[in-house]
Amino acid sequence: MSPNSKSLFVSLGVVVAAGSVVVGSYVRDRVDLGMRTLPNSQRDFSMQSLVASRDPDQQVPEGDFFYELTRLVKREYVEPITDDQKLASGAVRGMVGSLGDPSSLFMDKSEFTAFLNSREGKYEGIGAELALVNPAGIPSGAAGRGNLQPTDEGGAEEMMATMPKIPRLTLVAVVPGGPADKAGLKVGDMVYSVDDHWLVNSDLLDRFRAAQIDWAAKKITLRDLNKLRKEIRTKTDRALLPLRAKDRLMLGTTGTLKVTVDRAKSQLTVNITRGTSSMPNWSVKGDHVDYLPFTPGAADRLKDALQGKKEVTLDLRNNVLGEVSVMRDCLATIAPAGTYGGFINQRGTKPTPLTLTKGVSSHPKIHLITDFSTRGAAEMFALALTSNGLATMTQPTGNQRKLIDIIKLPDGSGYTLATGEYRTKLSVPTATAKKGVK
Amino acid sequence: MKFLRSSLIAILGIGICFIFGFSWRDVQHGETPSKRSLAALVGVKDTSSLTPEQAFREAYNRILGSYIRTVKPIDLKYSGMQGLMASLGDPHTMFLAPRIAQEFSDQTRANFGGVGAKLSPDPLGARISSVFEDGPAYASGLRGGDVIIAVNGLPVGSKPLEGIVEKIKGPEGTKVKLSVMRKGHDKPLVFNIKRARIITPTVESKYFPDSKVGWLAVGSFSEPTATQFDKEISKLERNEMKGLVIDLRGNPGGLLTTAVDMLSRFVENKVVVTMKFRDGREEAARTYPGSLHPFNYPIVALVNEDSASAAEIFSGCLRDYGRATLVGTHSYGKASVQNVIPLVDSSSAKITIARYYLPMGSYIGRKVDDDGVYLSGGLEPTVKVDLDLDADPIMGDPKSDNQLRKAIEVVLSKK
Repeated sequence: MSPNSKSLFVSLGVVVAAGSVVVGSYVRDRVDLGMRTLPNSQRDFSMQSLVASRDPDQQVPEGDFFYELTRLVKREYVEPITDDQKLASGAVRGMVGSLGDPSSLFMDKSEFTAFLNSREGKYEGIGAELALVNPAGIPSGAAGRGNLQPTDEGGAEEMMATMPKIPRLTLVAVVPGGPADKAGLKVGDMVYSVDDHWLVNSDLLDRFRAAQIDWAAKKITLRDLNKLRKEIRTKTDRALLPLRAKDRLMLGTTGTLKVTVDRAKSQLTVNITRGTSSMPNWSVKGDHVDYLPFTPGAADRLKDALQGKKEVTLDLRNNVLGEVSVMRDCLATIAPAGTYGGFINQRGTKPTPLTLTKGVSSHPKIHLITDFSTRGAAEMFALALTSNGLATMTQPTGNQRKLIDIIKLPDGSGYTLATGEYRTKLSVPTATAKKGVK
Repeated sequence: MKFLRSSLIAILGIGICFIFGFSWRDVQHGETPSKRSLAALVGVKDTSSLTPEQAFREAYNRILGSYIRTVKPIDLKYSGMQGLMASLGDPHTMFLAPRIAQEFSDQTRANFGGVGAKLSPDPLGARISSVFEDGPAYASGLRGGDVIIAVNGLPVGSKPLEGIVEKIKGPEGTKVKLSVMRKGHDKPLVFNIKRARIITPTVESKYFPDSKVGWLAVGSFSEPTATQFDKEISKLERNEMKGLVIDLRGNPGGLLTTAVDMLSRFVENKVVVTMKFRDGREEAARTYPGSLHPFNYPIVALVNEDSASAAEIFSGCLRDYGRATLVGTHSYGKASVQNVIPLVDSSSAKITIARYYLPMGSYIGRKVDDDGVYLSGGLEPTVKVDLDLDADPIMGDPKSDNQLRKAIEVVLSKK
């Protein structure tokens, strides 16, 4: 080998070695930060430390922020931290929580497990599905943190004054024959207190504001105002956050709870013993389908049930946790091919149409039994059929038309994320997206 | 053969360089290469085997990309960091986003002018609970019990107390007009008060002749507190003392050295508190000899949930060395030392770096649940009594302040 080609080999070797260092470091970034390409400016940052310099205009990419903050906490915190995933799940909890959206919720391991079970119709606790529902008059989506603030400065009780309108924990489905059903609770009941712990809601604040105005107008005495103030204090001292109350009502199979609910204009208090309960199985009696859970296999069963019938009644009550993809397959057993509205969002991106590529040309006459407990996939099913004149329904549905993603995290916790909302028509998508959900 | 060997060496060399590059991040931080990252390199794409960092990133991108509404990336990032810190379950370890970090430092630096009065809530506005004797409010004739109903002519009825205080405060030398309701007057009295720089007295005392008990309230542990404490004690001891109530309610703490100074009046050469760091290192603070004061009467320390940090060390030591009985409600439960670390984008991380233990070895750290609701912690008083807010209590007035009444009863039963 000539000296020339030898030096060429050596320099080639150096270049290849240096190259593999760079590639190695790059691969590490990709591995640690997920498989998304980082712009160069961001990748450079990972070579510095988060605490090295202070520049208010510096934007730190979230992955590096997470990495560096985790490292900092692990190095500095008084107790050794061994579980990085706990920190990551905490960060996800923080992010999901900041959305302030009743349909996007973080759940710890036991909550998430119970949630997945309830999607299969298996319940713990009082045997009911509970959800945060905006009280009448509040448009959905406006209840988020920061969207709705108390407008006046009044409100002597600090906590009450800073409290935005909060959705109420509401029974949206009741397992037939389950503990809540036996105790006489009904769909639509709003939980007022659990074991004498008052659930935080804005009713008291509204009452207090009204009383303040009355007092200023000398309609009531200071004593009356102070009496109300005492009531508020006693209640807030023992207050329970709605999602904590949901845990008490939906987790566990032992113990008795004293539950007070608001129903219409009155209150009802019952004792309920927690236990296990299940939604009934799919059942067909003649022309009547009692319960149609939108779980895998439902489309085939529905097809069989419709076979050779002239008129069929589908009971869609107590139907809250179905899968949208299954619902679409079921729709295809009744409806002809075509587009049945779709899902809009407020991000300004195009709506996703709900399209059936295959459908049927004829089907029996369909009657749907619906009410407030017809929610989610079941509600979309009912709306898609009735808005196209393919079926009739009995009562207004529950107004839960959100398209919801379910994500499981590595440590068994998980969260839901609303990604769209169902509309029966997608005529003026851009205007709708800008105006927001009505 | 020779070619095969040299190419083998070359491949090996390239491999070593790759691994070096891959582990560069760890090398830089002086850590051993992460096994999790190595495992992820081998190509596991199952979502349940994401590294924590990937799981975080996945959620971050998912929320930004598919949530029904638009989310501001920077807000989402900071919410995530807050959640990360909150997951440790320690209320004092937290992430401070840039804006909050700025407010935090403004607050600690700020120097306001005022009129020199302490206010408490009242439906008509704000009730004056005490007036500092060397302040401008006192000089103008404002007295405790007066109720401020308007500031600069604007009514303040049913406004939050904080807002009223903010309106009364202002630069030194400027004037503020206060309209005040006073018992025995049909019409509001109007005071024009020139604001001054207020040095808040941290110790206040009262002698109750009917029970012969002295009341001494310590508002915080700042530099002059020990001297003010001595002064007020000697003032009280001009009377016949059957007992002393040291009121630490609402005392958020302050300087540990001041607490040690004051405890040296009660016990000498005793451990006040032991700080334990995570590396096992311990540091103890002790009282010093030569400053003992003969307290020839029983003592009660009055605490509540707003008594924290140095106030808990002070009252906890008095209890542990048998010098006082605790009365009131459980205290806050601040038993740790924090370090505030400024971060690169002017946010900061406040992290608990050490814990402290009281002389009898007990740890009183506050525990909260995920929503920040109190679970346990703080000093448990020997005699528990809640404040009766319906009596419209004025702190330090045994007629309306039932906790103080109980404290007096307890101190008189000792001996």
